Amino acid sequence: METLVNHEKPLIMHIDLNSCFATIEQQANPLLRGKPLVVAAYGTPNAFVLAPSIEAKRIGIKMGMRVRDAQEIYPKVVVRTPDPPKYRDVHLKFKKIFEDYSPEVIPKSIDEAIIDFRSVANLHSDLVGIAKEIKQRMKDEIGEWIFCSIGIGTNMFLAKLGASLHKPDGLTVINHTNLMETYKEAELLDLNGINVRYQARLNIHGIHTPLDFFNATQDFLHKEVFRSIVGARWYVKLRGYEADQREFSTKSIGHQYALQKATADEKDLSRLIMKLCEKMGRRLRSKGYTARGMHMWFSYRDHTFWHRGRTMERPLYTTLDLYRHALVVFHQQPTKKPISHMGVSSYHLSDRKEVQLSLFESDFAKARKVSDALDQINDIYGEFTVVPGIMMAMDDIILDRIAFGGMREMEGQETSFAG
Amino acid sequence: MLEKIHEPIDVITIYKNKRLGAKAAPYKIRWKNRSYLITKVGYHHKVRSGRTVYHIFHVCSDTLAFLLKHDPDTLSWTLEEVSDGNAS
Repeated sequence: METLVNHEKPLIMHIDLNSCFATIEQQANPLLRGKPLVVAAYGTPNAFVLAPSIEAKRIGIKMGMRVRDAQEIYPKVVVRTPDPPKYRDVHLKFKKIFEDYSPEVIPKSIDEAIIDFRSVANLHSDLVGIAKEIKQRMKDEIGEWIFCSIGIGTNMFLAKLGASLHKPDGLTVINHTNLMETYKEAELLDLNGINVRYQARLNIHGIHTPLDFFNATQDFLHKEVFRSIVGARWYVKLRGYEADQREFSTKSIGHQYALQKATADEKDLSRLIMKLCEKMGRRLRSKGYTARGMHMWFSYRDHTFWHRGRTMERPLYTTLDLYRHALVVFHQQPTKKPISHMGVSSYHLSDRKEVQLSLFESDFAKARKVSDALDQINDIYGEFTVVPGIMMAMDDIILDRIAFGGMREMEGQETSFAG
Repeated sequence: MLEKIHEPIDVITIYKNKRLGAKAAPYKIRWKNRSYLITKVGYHHKVRSGRTVYHIFHVCSDTLAFLLKHDPDTLSWTLEEVSDGNAS
């Protein structure tokens, strides 16, 4: 049976900044160039490596390793902590370059974006030429040490695969003429969306290579392997067609924090929860939302985990509201063990304008106004200028971080924010 | 090694016409009674804190890298970090 492959011209480009955080550090500080360098969550031996430089990767240092393990591989490895405003600035600069080529630019994360050329009428240059021009512009306009890998395909999946195959500084086009060759050279884990668990599932069903995956029938993937629509989507994606056209809106807003030293001290934890709620509340309000759901999770020193969510009738808006409900969840923990990592998120988001005012709680509208006024003060004079008393002297606790995944929070932003 | 400093610093800046491919940037700095000629601007970006938009310059001399912060409201400069580019 002939397998149907997309024969259209590849018009999706995926751009991936190589070793993003580490490369940007080397761009900013030329004395770090050519040296094994890692950007780690903290400067301590126990911290996790967030991004190794290309030189560090070459000697076996990987993302997710502890700093001490990286130092065992190479004792002189340079360790830097993240500088989110700088990374966001690079993100905004490269997004601006991409927008010169198509109105459809989709940031996938701080270091990845997709340019969709399908809506560009009268595309004069070929995409390989445009890709080379983008690479050069990134060097000219952002910095000469900035490398990126570019993949071009008929759908987002193949474009991403192309960008991941030849790193650093690669440029790969995948179309119907070389699709089989590409699958022959790749491994299952090279495919975006296939993790170790999915790989094991595929292996159980006799699929060991991307080519096996491609040759599996739609029915087999749908009914046997994935036992859901996911299997049918994979069948479509592997052939170069778009399977996920949905636009995802913001479903939740949250923050998390890894404690440098695990603690069960209620006072310390309450202060951290307040700061997490303040950061979450600032984002919630700046995007014009209220939330009716509150979720908290805790990782304990003994490697156990507990989480709970609760839905409220009345929407939450102010930091104090969020904090009170977070504390309720916090006190529902079955045992109070030392916490090493925790997170808080708000969900069931709705437009703040849609809030029904209560007849009986006259303070609600007043509290919202006070909260908005405090936000305005912090907008003018900087984050945490006015804070709840419980947060006094907490300036350096809970650092600014870059979230994995989408960059919706940076939409419309032109300058990176501190802290 | 990287050292956090956060001290006011003397800076001589230079402005080249944009046509020549350059903007305003530190040219020479004086710190602890020593002058350093800036040989390279690694990266420049802006950071908003409240109403103020600070200019952050990552620059280096032949031997040291500096992170300089310029406050355009007060026209002042601070040296935030110094690094020799080594682990320790």
